[in-house]
Amino acid sequence: MGLRSHAAFRAHGVVEVVTTRSKHRSYLSFVLPAFIIYAGIMVIPLLFSLGLSFTSWKGYGVMSFAALGNYAKLFSDPVFLIGLRNNALIVLISVFGQIPLGLLLAYMLHRQMVKGANGFEMLIFLPITISTVIVAQLWNRVFSPVGILPTIVRQVSGNRDYVMTIFENKAFAFVPIMFVLLWQHTSLYMVIFLANLQRIPESVMEAARLEGAGETAIFLKIIAPMLAPVAFINSILAISGSFKSFDLIYSMTGGGPAHYTEVMAVYMYNTTFVFQNYGYGSAISIVIILFIVAAIAATKAITKRLNLG
Amino acid sequence: MDNSSRLRKAPLAWRACAYVIMAAFAILTVFPLVWLGYSSLKPNTEIVQRPLGLPLAPSFDNFVRAWSMGNLGTVLENSFVYTSVATVGTLFLALAAAFGLSKFNFKSAKFYTWAFTLGLMLTIHAGIIPLFLAESRAGLINTRAGVILPYIAFDLPISVLIALGYMKGIPDAIIESAEMDGAKYRQIFWPLIVPLSAPVAATMAILSFLQHWNEFFFVFIFTTKVSMKSLPVAITQFAGRQNTEYGLQYASLVIGILPMILFYVLFHSQLKKGFGEGSLKE
Repeated sequence: MGLRSHAAFRAHGVVEVVTTRSKHRSYLSFVLPAFIIYAGIMVIPLLFSLGLSFTSWKGYGVMSFAALGNYAKLFSDPVFLIGLRNNALIVLISVFGQIPLGLLLAYMLHRQMVKGANGFEMLIFLPITISTVIVAQLWNRVFSPVGILPTIVRQVSGNRDYVMTIFENKAFAFVPIMFVLLWQHTSLYMVIFLANLQRIPESVMEAARLEGAGETAIFLKIIAPMLAPVAFINSILAISGSFKSFDLIYSMTGGGPAHYTEVMAVYMYNTTFVFQNYGYGSAISIVIILFIVAAIAATKAITKRLNLG
Repeated sequence: MDNSSRLRKAPLAWRACAYVIMAAFAILTVFPLVWLGYSSLKPNTEIVQRPLGLPLAPSFDNFVRAWSMGNLGTVLENSFVYTSVATVGTLFLALAAAFGLSKFNFKSAKFYTWAFTLGLMLTIHAGIIPLFLAESRAGLINTRAGVILPYIAFDLPISVLIALGYMKGIPDAIIESAEMDGAKYRQIFWPLIVPLSAPVAATMAILSFLQHWNEFFFVFIFTTKVSMKSLPVAITQFAGRQNTEYGLQYASLVIGILPMILFYVLFHSQLKKGFGEGSLKE
């Protein structure tokens, strides 16, 4: 019971007990439908996942208890470790690619450095609405032997048999995926920074200019620091999002060839739904969550330290 | 000083860089899409022989074949049902929950709000295995409900929190005065709270629609029949199966992309606002 209903109770006695009760009933009728659907479909299955992750269940027969066996196995599993490395690469391209580039684009648009800034903004933001799996298929076509890139390379280099082989290269197979990630998400950060830039009063830049600061100094010494908290919050979102990556990679390469482009979520999918290794798959999904929670917790701690938030 | 802005024009070096970067991004965005578009009008032999050339005799043949072979009419209908039911469902469940949490002053509201906030951290992969097993038991695999329910559940945390942030700004006095008139809470919600929330509801609906339309994982896991897939999932799988039938691949991808470009053009400013202002909360 809230404070207000308590006061009312004291004032009006029994009559109010009835209305408070009916108020509570109607309160629950508003809150519970959403809460039950959310808890039933998101939270409770997660708890079961946690339970499954301590077993070596294969989808049939008796569940045998494996304690932390699955977790111990994970960190010596070469495929999982490739996945982990590639997830780290996604973090890298998000935090050091998409976000700084998004900031730069936003600043250039905000300062009207190009004619038709609105048109450019409109074109660059376009990928936001296209389904990630279709983006993946589009770029696979661009990279295919009859696609844009190999055709241009053939014409420029004169090598008529050129096809892209980077996907078969163990060290660099993930590079095209990182490129597509950059292509797809940079504009999101651009729009976020644009919204925040519009809230910085023009007088701030004007004052700096009167003191003789050049464009580069204004960008690096005034604008970038002012937007640092925004960049920081978005880095966390990007990091926690990076651990979830599935659609683009599954649709572009399926994690192949030979697991070169594996990420944790794709490995979890294959382990569970292709090889029916429910216990091990659950352990991977729990580890993904733990990475996300750790990323968020670390950021919160840093935010407090630096007083950014 | 430049007339359009009170600030001086940026120096030439910055402007030159800006043109290069903007042009690069714009070309990388537009050219693949335009190329896909005109290539989808070419027969297969022409695609192989002149990969970048414009179609000599443009034809919609690829589209006609992709549409029927890929069952795209059926999956388009599925997409509309999944997306619209999930969007409307999420919207009203979230508005109702936010109303309850912001205007009733019960202590448990804190717990529920905390629980929804926690949901922002969970990913769709976290509970997918038990959820799949539960849906199999309950016979929900290959049903519309089996897709729509998880759509709603996973969209609720963020939607409830957005709605909550907005409703805290609606003065309690409005509700109290309605209460004085003897209106029950249930009678306040529809005629009063829902219309007052229209601005935030519009943004929520557009973001929610976009997310559900483009969703992949749930449809992929919870449906096995082609006739139950959504448009993006069916197209991805269809295009992936056409080994060297490039024309069919391109046409099906264009069918997946065109509606989203239309959506983008129609709702560009709301999308920009929704994604941009999500970051403004301090």
